[in-house]
Amino acid sequence: MRDTRTDPAPVPAGALFLTCLKVGSLSFGGGLTGWLHREFVQRRGWVSDDDFSATLAIAQVLPGANVVNLVVCLGEELRGPLGAAACVTGFLLPPVLSVLGLALLFDRLGQFPAVEIAMLGIACAALGMLLQICWLGLRRAKGSPRRLAVIAAVVVGVTVLKLPMILVVLLVAPVSVWLVWRRG
Amino acid sequence: MTDPLWQILWHMVPLSLASFGGGPAIIAGLDVMVRQNGWIAPQDFLHLFAISRAAPGPGTTLATLIGWRLAGWTGATLASLAIYLPSSLVCYLVYRATSRHRDRKWHRAMREGLAPVGTGLVISGSIALIQISGNGWAGPAISVGAFLIFQGLPRIPAVLVLMAGGAASLLLAALS
Repeated sequence: MRDTRTDPAPVPAGALFLTCLKVGSLSFGGGLTGWLHREFVQRRGWVSDDDFSATLAIAQVLPGANVVNLVVCLGEELRGPLGAAACVTGFLLPPVLSVLGLALLFDRLGQFPAVEIAMLGIACAALGMLLQICWLGLRRAKGSPRRLAVIAAVVVGVTVLKLPMILVVLLVAPVSVWLVWRRG
Repeated sequence: MTDPLWQILWHMVPLSLASFGGGPAIIAGLDVMVRQNGWIAPQDFLHLFAISRAAPGPGTTLATLIGWRLAGWTGATLASLAIYLPSSLVCYLVYRATSRHRDRKWHRAMREGLAPVGTGLVISGSIALIQISGNGWAGPAISVGAFLIFQGLPRIPAVLVLMAGGAASLLLAALS
């Protein structure tokens, strides 16, 4: 796992397209952020873990599907406009085609309960990838009361107080950034 | 203005631009849109929702399916573009405008300050997913098992682990 680079070198648009095509084709059961983290941070070391998390926060605040926004930002980061276009096209093409294929299939065959049970298991396993991001983020926050407090504030706001996510981010993010800024 | 293609554009482009909150906001918006316009029956909506979850990729491909029901392949293409393109353009422009200042102090502070916010959001999202996965202890057990495998064997193809999760779920359901 490479976690040190902060200024990424350009990555060929073809490689971005293929990587996103892979995630788009195989990401059954959701957990797409986990898939992207696995491919972009853990396997290829194209972006650092910290930059990934920061980009994720930006992608979540803006309108639009979060993972699609994330892919647009990662593409821009690594290869400019061409990269963004390559990433988003590769990422969306397989899901759009397979959802239509499945709809045609289900319209003919009806639904099976076993498929639903298996899909649930796949979704739970995909959650394992998200747990990895949680684990890495918490491990990095170890020994930094600032980071721990920010993570805790977000989790309490969203999970316990059930506040809208946008509101929580708009409240916590400026404070978090200010705390880093003040330290210099 | 009753042309279904117009209807798709007219309703989905604004939804794309106003979908603060991401996927859940889009799906809720599509639900309201379909109800208010009486486009498709509620049961069919649920059916399409289930299909969008069974396919890989984001759950927002539900928009593609609604477009398909309304106007066939053209509708599916148009709906996909209408729901993804406007928000992606906005995101691109905002991200580009800020990342030009990568080396400035405020940008570094922004990135370092936003990183734990991102972590907190993923933790919150994971908790929500664990809660809706239901199914007693089997779901969380599969999640933790997958996490341990991913941690222990970073090179393992993710698809293998996901297939094992599906198999484990069937096995546990058969045993109980």
